Amino acid sequence: MSSTTKGAGPLLRAAGLSKHFPLESGLLASLRRAEARTVKAVEAVSLDVYAGQTLAIVGESGSGKSTLGRLLLRLTQPTAGRVLYKDENIFSMKRGELRAFRRQAQIILQDPYASLNPRMRVGRIIREPLDIYREGSRAERDKRAHMLLERVGLTSGHARAYPSELSGGQRQRVGIAAALALSPEIIIADEPTSSLDVSVQAQTLNLLSELQRDFNLTYVFITHDLGVVQHFSDRVAVMYLGKIVEEAPTETLFAAPQHPYTQVLFSAIPLPDPTRRVNWDLPKGEPPSPLDPPPGCHFHPRCPKVMTACSAVEPPLKATGPARRVACLLFEDEAGLPQTKGD
Amino acid sequence: MNLLSLRHLTTEFYSGGRWLEAVSDVSFDLRPGEILGLVGESGCGKSTIAYSIMRLLAKNARISGGEVWLGDVNLTEANDERLQDLRGSRLSMIFQDPMTALDSLFTVGHQIIETLQEHLDLDAAAARARALELLRQVGIPAAEERLNAYPYQFSGGMSQRIALAIAISCQPQVLIADEPTTALDVTIQAQILHLIRRLMVEEGGTGVLLITHDLGVVAQVCDRVAVMYAGKIVEFGAVEAIFSDPLHPYTQALLNSLPSQGIQRGALENIRGRVPSLDDRPAGCRFHPRCAHARDICRVEAPPLVKRDGGQEVACVLYD
Repeated sequence: MSSTTKGAGPLLRAAGLSKHFPLESGLLASLRRAEARTVKAVEAVSLDVYAGQTLAIVGESGSGKSTLGRLLLRLTQPTAGRVLYKDENIFSMKRGELRAFRRQAQIILQDPYASLNPRMRVGRIIREPLDIYREGSRAERDKRAHMLLERVGLTSGHARAYPSELSGGQRQRVGIAAALALSPEIIIADEPTSSLDVSVQAQTLNLLSELQRDFNLTYVFITHDLGVVQHFSDRVAVMYLGKIVEEAPTETLFAAPQHPYTQVLFSAIPLPDPTRRVNWDLPKGEPPSPLDPPPGCHFHPRCPKVMTACSAVEPPLKATGPARRVACLLFEDEAGLPQTKGD
Repeated sequence: MNLLSLRHLTTEFYSGGRWLEAVSDVSFDLRPGEILGLVGESGCGKSTIAYSIMRLLAKNARISGGEVWLGDVNLTEANDERLQDLRGSRLSMIFQDPMTALDSLFTVGHQIIETLQEHLDLDAAAARARALELLRQVGIPAAEERLNAYPYQFSGGMSQRIALAIAISCQPQVLIADEPTTALDVTIQAQILHLIRRLMVEEGGTGVLLITHDLGVVAQVCDRVAVMYAGKIVEFGAVEAIFSDPLHPYTQALLNSLPSQGIQRGALENIRGRVPSLDDRPAGCRFHPRCAHARDICRVEAPPLVKRDGGQEVACVLYD
């Protein structure tokens, strides 16, 4: 798989990454042993994140997109697989290496009400990463915090405020400033604008764009908002029940989504255009429980193009074009592979 | 004939020792069989309107002016007993969080049947049969078994279907839906909106007041829309007209700030500044400090909502 290339190889590369959560823990469960039931939140995900680009990870609740984001930063341990940062597996990094990685890789969270310490003044929240990494003198750190505040569209006067005194949009700016404090290379943004009103969302997205341009930042944007994806990202990975079902450059994907799930997802987006009303009845059923995903392709019970083989074969993610992968049996033959039996 | 009429509704909140207007002089009519969208950003007063109509305002809030008519009943003057009788029968509401309407201690069947027997003259068997029919109508699979399930056993989307089943159980004339799909995934949202449209509007002739911040949802399901800013309606009209020819600078800015429609990577339009808080609303047009077209008169005079040729209403001096 190649990239649409700005820059060189991938900055971050996930290979065979899985995260299973045990359902039962404790003495009884370990006595029972047998087959421990698990939720496969992320299952065998491989993807590349290229420097200076924005990769969007989209999916509905329970698709595993947030868990994937946490794995990419080693905020949780994988059940299997690796994440390579500049060819170094972040899960085998020693303390010193990990510390160096952590300053290069930051996170912005969805809820600026929950992610900022309510007892810390804004100036201190932004300064804290610099304190931890002992960057310069106290005066220099304060100066940088003030500079960052201004860079994200607040004033140095806000340094003395508590998060509760700020609006949602202002808090998200504080979160962004704190993430920028150590001049990272990559930022994972988990639903950064989902709790904001549309005009505030626009301001925040514009800010994130400017910062990317000015600091050559790499973004991984985790979101369920396809408008934001289309506006903001270079490439998109679509997740369904822990797996990537399709990955493509943004324009290609929106022009012609290949996976039936991507098609259903796109058709369900309420477009702000009353002359283009969608067929609201299209998506069938509910996403199945991640506790008990259907066999074969996880999407097959809801798929409008389901074939008999789909309940038996787990379709692998296969290249179907330049920088484009899709996990669907419909595309097996196009990739020059033998057609599955049963249809 | 209008199902629901608001006349100069004004609702206030008590805060910091005084009463502050959350909704100011709002008037509109809801017609049978239509979905009327009430759209605006957080704090614009759209949910307060819903709670004012239902007379479910919190203790620190009051209707300080105007009237709400449900047909020939003045809801603003109705007593508790009358309201109790109207809610659930002629007037229903669904919420963003379906658990608001469901009691976790009782089976969903019990809750639907209770509503039915409260308002309709049905014996136990007839109520149960009707409850089953309702669950099937809202697309609950294996309705017979699910009647005996508790709310926690349902997903968010399924819970909202059940809340909808209860809301429509007595065939209300008016359904108020306050952000009914905001907490749901987009494919489930599509199903629920489709259901509301089909059950209420096409079959029942019910009027739906749909409160949402999502302009996509408005465009897809509403017939007419009221755009609210800082407690007032700034623009009102048919959904096609509002989206193709928005008149108020706020409506224009709101539509331009949407990231979508294949326009990639350009900066999104910003509305400068932020929504004013309740105790800090500017004089004159409340949008003027953020408006690109503001003139001197906008700082002093609040423009009324005026109907233009073609029926669209707008509150802005640009169109005097």
